[in-house]
Amino acid sequence: MSFLRLFRSVAIACACGLVATTAFADKPATIRIGVAQQGNGDPPTFGGSSAATVQQQQLLEKEFAADGIKVEWLFFKGAGPAVNEALADKSIDFAFQGDLPSILGRANGLKTRILLESGVRVGVKIGVPPDSDVHSIKDLKGKRVGLFRGTNLHTVADNALAKNGLEERELRVINLDTASALAALASKGIDASINDYHLYKLRDQGLARIIYESQNDGPQFTRQAHLLVTDDFEHAHPDIVQRVVTTFVKGAQWSSDEANRQALFKSWARSGVSESSWNAEFPPGTLKWRNSPLVDAFIVARYKAVAQDALKLKLIRQPVQVDGWFETRYLDNALRTLKLEHEWTPYDAAGKPLG
Amino acid sequence: MARFTQTFLSRNAPPRCDCEVDRGVNVELAKTRRLPDLRGFVLPALAFAIWWAVSAIHGGKGGLLVTPEQVWHTTWQQVTSGALAKALGASLAREASGFAIGTILGLALGISLGLSRLATRMIGPSFDTFKQISLFAWIPLISVWFGLGDAAKVVFLSLAALLPVAAHTCDGIHAVPRSYVEAARVFRYTRRQLVWHVILPAALPSIFTGLYLALIYSWLATLGAEYLLVAGSGIGNTLIDGSENFRMDLVLFGIVVVGVVGSLLSGLARAAERAVLKRRGGALLKENV
Amino acid sequence: MSDTVILHLEAANNQIPTQTQTRRWRALGWALAPWVLPAALFALWWLGCERGWIAPQILPPPARVYATFVELAQSGDLLHNTLISLQRVLCGFVAGTLGGLLLGTALGLSRTFEAYVLPSFNAIVQIPVLGWLPFLLLLVGVGEPLKYILIAHAALVPATLSTLQGFRNVPVTLLEASRVFGYTRWQRIVHVVLPCAVPTLATGVRLAFTKAWLALVVVELVASSEGLGYLIVYGRQLFQLDLVMAAVVIVGAIGFAINRALDALERRLRRGLPSAFR
Repeated sequence: MSFLRLFRSVAIACACGLVATTAFADKPATIRIGVAQQGNGDPPTFGGSSAATVQQQQLLEKEFAADGIKVEWLFFKGAGPAVNEALADKSIDFAFQGDLPSILGRANGLKTRILLESGVRVGVKIGVPPDSDVHSIKDLKGKRVGLFRGTNLHTVADNALAKNGLEERELRVINLDTASALAALASKGIDASINDYHLYKLRDQGLARIIYESQNDGPQFTRQAHLLVTDDFEHAHPDIVQRVVTTFVKGAQWSSDEANRQALFKSWARSGVSESSWNAEFPPGTLKWRNSPLVDAFIVARYKAVAQDALKLKLIRQPVQVDGWFETRYLDNALRTLKLEHEWTPYDAAGKPLG
Repeated sequence: MARFTQTFLSRNAPPRCDCEVDRGVNVELAKTRRLPDLRGFVLPALAFAIWWAVSAIHGGKGGLLVTPEQVWHTTWQQVTSGALAKALGASLAREASGFAIGTILGLALGISLGLSRLATRMIGPSFDTFKQISLFAWIPLISVWFGLGDAAKVVFLSLAALLPVAAHTCDGIHAVPRSYVEAARVFRYTRRQLVWHVILPAALPSIFTGLYLALIYSWLATLGAEYLLVAGSGIGNTLIDGSENFRMDLVLFGIVVVGVVGSLLSGLARAAERAVLKRRGGALLKENV
Repeated sequence: MSDTVILHLEAANNQIPTQTQTRRWRALGWALAPWVLPAALFALWWLGCERGWIAPQILPPPARVYATFVELAQSGDLLHNTLISLQRVLCGFVAGTLGGLLLGTALGLSRTFEAYVLPSFNAIVQIPVLGWLPFLLLLVGVGEPLKYILIAHAALVPATLSTLQGFRNVPVTLLEASRVFGYTRWQRIVHVVLPCAVPTLATGVRLAFTKAWLALVVVELVASSEGLGYLIVYGRQLFQLDLVMAAVVIVGAIGFAINRALDALERRLRRGLPSAFR
């Protein structure tokens, strides 16, 4: 009798142990990454950042193929704001998103962690129809301007306007997503479009003229984008997060190498923006500067500034704490493992290189 | 003589409920002439000729004025490359599922509202209010609540189909003449027999109007959902892509497809209605003669 | 007999529920019945937010939505955007309905005109209002004309069709009677056809407004710089669901109010018919 009881308790203990080990080694069936862009083509793809490189070279798919984990890239026509909805809904685990939309999400209680940067010091461009009488930002007063609200274009645009003594209220702002804004500009439905490198497409066709590029005014007039992860996923699968970050750093390294320039732009051209446009957007020698994944003093200062701007512009209702949002240990581990600690230059808060 | 009876009955049959106005051409215009009436083609032919002439002179250089050949070329390319089948298939699949779910729920809701005074009193006013809120205002909320992908679209489409079906079913049941119910009571019909054999058949024209409207509204809602919700594949997406890539030929192609599908759907609904009601109408005719 | 009277009096004194009281309770229940469902939904909403069943980003608590509503009203934004939306819909609705009435009348009066125009009109009707949106976006851009044209088109279609139906639904008997009395064509139209067509016209006008309001919401959601739909988009872009919900409530309330008004008008017109037509 006692032997039977012993046997039963051992059996139950073994069963519990098995369940425990499977629970601990529980892997997600799919890793879902949301991209704050509409994407182009079928299947959709994008360009302009190391994240795009990772997606196009299928680095993540290859990394996780052996574990049987699928990787799903989800594109959002509504860009950053739509990604916030998906994060709130728990429909995605990772997100490639811009600074402002993530701050909006954090202000409204989304629990996320920023892992690394992907696509920094990106400028904002203002395009007008070729025959327009608008020649500088000051001429935009009272005009119909297309702006994609809530994306990281928003704060840079407002700062550029403020520098020229204008407020958003003095323009007639229409909220248009990237593609609609291009169409509206081409058909002269709007007088100006505050957009990004997509405007080069129109310029090459002779349908638009670019009157302003914000990066010329200094790094304070640029926007950043990053890869973030939901708190829940990070707590549940820290090992997977580490592998994802390491893969992204590999992608960033490849994208920062000037030797890969032609191959890089050729790959990014699949997103619908031509190679020559990419060449114009990334002047020679700037690949490393733009594709650096480091979270340095400059990045932290920029995010704090954007948070303050958002509060000032009444885009958020209470201040957002940026400290404690960045989780850089995965990035540090990846740099150490791949021996890339000195690959990229960190910058200070004013944008000057450190050492 | 038979024609007079037909006309007389079509005018003096038990009144339909004063619900949404019927679309479509009047019965009287059904031609008894031998030659087909070609006058309807004059206007379109004229418009086409003008378009052809103007685009031959000015267009064909890109931009908004496209020639008929360009539109034809695009059509051919879309059809042969399978893009049309894919887009249309996706849209129709969504519409079918939304329509099916919405109709079933709408019938259930409408019948319970129609038969039960308590239900009408409790749910009726709220339903009435809800019906009058413009459907598309819900889209941003639906997209946040139901997430990405087809779930949000199907929910929206089901809602679009549910409203007219429930409303018309309820109205139809309420409009059943008391005389029918009393006659059934004289014949000692049980409640189930009363509902199945008397009330539902009497309410059938109204229910069909509701179904017809549900089909139209859900097609409209399919387009709206594809504009306003997450990108995927569908004919609405083809239209919006066309307008965003400033390709008027693609937009015109999309419009024609949408129109053709819309008319096919309403033709289907009409045929079904006529098939079911003709049997019933025929019975009515026999009784009166 | 006196015993029963005493018993009744005693019962009344002892507050045993009589028939009147039960009837009164039932009447109260009947009066309150319509509020049960909304109250239950509101309770569910409130409870769901209190207990955290749903993330507050997805469903903001009622207090938050109310606070946003008050904020909008106080800052004048609400009035400004509502007036703009109303102005757009009224202009488009009036233009479309008048156009529809004229077109429907022309189609109704002249068989020849109908034979030439109606098939083309029916073909255009098959294309839902939203199908025209990309076409108009390319043609007229994203300014005010886009909204007016789309709303007018949305109103024109039901107005035309119901006018035509009103003309066609005049009972044959009445027309024959008017012919017997020697009415001229003009007299027939004014004294027989038009009064008969009024109820159908009223329904058509109400339908036209519903469609116009629908079109307004969609076009403001897609591309506008002011208006209620714009408020919804603004709230959504900034991830402020409470703003979205407040704006949706306002859209619903206005649509509901105007619909009710038109409904009452329609019912009055139907009731005011002379009894000869019954």
